Amino acid sequence: MTDDRDRADSRADQGTDDELIRRWKSGEQRAASLLVGRHANAVARFVTSLGVLDDVEDVVQDTFVRAFASIDGFRGDSQLRTWLFTIARRLVLDSRRSERRRGEQVEVQDGDARTDVDPLDAMVADEAERRMLGAVARLTPTQRQVFGLRVGEGMSYREIADAVGTTEGAARVHYHNAMRAIKELLDD
Amino acid sequence: MTDCPDGAVRDLLPELVNDRLAPDVRRRVDAHVRDCAVCQQEVELLRALRASMRSVSGMDVGRIVSAIPAYRAPRRSWGGWRAAAAIMLLAVGGTSVAVLQREGTAARDGGVWAGAPSGPGTDPIAQPSRAPTLPPIQNPARELTLGNPAIDELNDRELSTLLADLETLQAFPSPDEDRSADVVAPAPAGTD
Repeated sequence: MTDDRDRADSRADQGTDDELIRRWKSGEQRAASLLVGRHANAVARFVTSLGVLDDVEDVVQDTFVRAFASIDGFRGDSQLRTWLFTIARRLVLDSRRSERRRGEQVEVQDGDARTDVDPLDAMVADEAERRMLGAVARLTPTQRQVFGLRVGEGMSYREIADAVGTTEGAARVHYHNAMRAIKELLDD
Repeated sequence: MTDCPDGAVRDLLPELVNDRLAPDVRRRVDAHVRDCAVCQQEVELLRALRASMRSVSGMDVGRIVSAIPAYRAPRRSWGGWRAAAAIMLLAVGGTSVAVLQREGTAARDGGVWAGAPSGPGTDPIAQPSRAPTLPPIQNPARELTLGNPAIDELNDRELSTLLADLETLQAFPSPDEDRSADVVAPAPAGTD
């Protein structure tokens, strides 16, 4: 909860996303740094939940470059973060499509064999945390995305639906199925 | 681990742990969780899961920002307006030329000069001097529709004037004027 308060305080000091966008458009490069600093980790977590294991930082960077290049297309109908997630998701899907065209088997679909070992494990020393991440890693890709956005970012089902490209109702179902699966895995 | 039967509250627990509930909803959910052991367990689990998932971090902000180009305001483009005006001009001009040509063809097919006196003894070929003279061109819209190739050299103001002039332009000229397309030079004697 502390990081949320810190984030709220920092927003009050630095300005809202819309204010920072206006400042960047008027030439203040530091506003871009503040926006990237505010959202980069969340975008990285989302990209990871999409199954991207390597080059996460490259995808995050491409997401921001694409977003800033088309910032006039951001109408503010959704949160900036949701818009960034949408861009990141498109980049990942486009990348998978082009890789598939090259004959590489990189596409991960619901129902595919799930990873028993998540690369994040190495970063996590705590056994309980490792078990939890292991449980999340065993969700289907869509469940993992929805669960990450719901629990990790606290997004509403509406926002999740926009980011993941599904409906609000489907997002709710995915979340509850994911929660049930995680409880079962942790109870074993 | 069981589920709380109050599905509505259970559905809000992720937003509770992310501190994203409206104050009144938050009070209601907090009150429920205080008295519900199952929800307390789920909140604990959600907090732990959230902390685990958020442990992924460490993006190099400087590297990302260095790749972001400076803002470039979108240019106000008049290209669309110009193109629409040009298309309209071409359409009106094309229609006029087509009508003129068609009338000219019809007149020639009938062997009669539309502007020449008809009747026995009249020979249009023999009377080239009777072909009507072209009226002077004073209207810029008309000038353009007759094939002036300088449309793309006009500025916005000139195009606006042109569009206003088009309002007054007759798309179908009267048969009594502008017979330039009807004028057929007589073939010199001794040629095919």
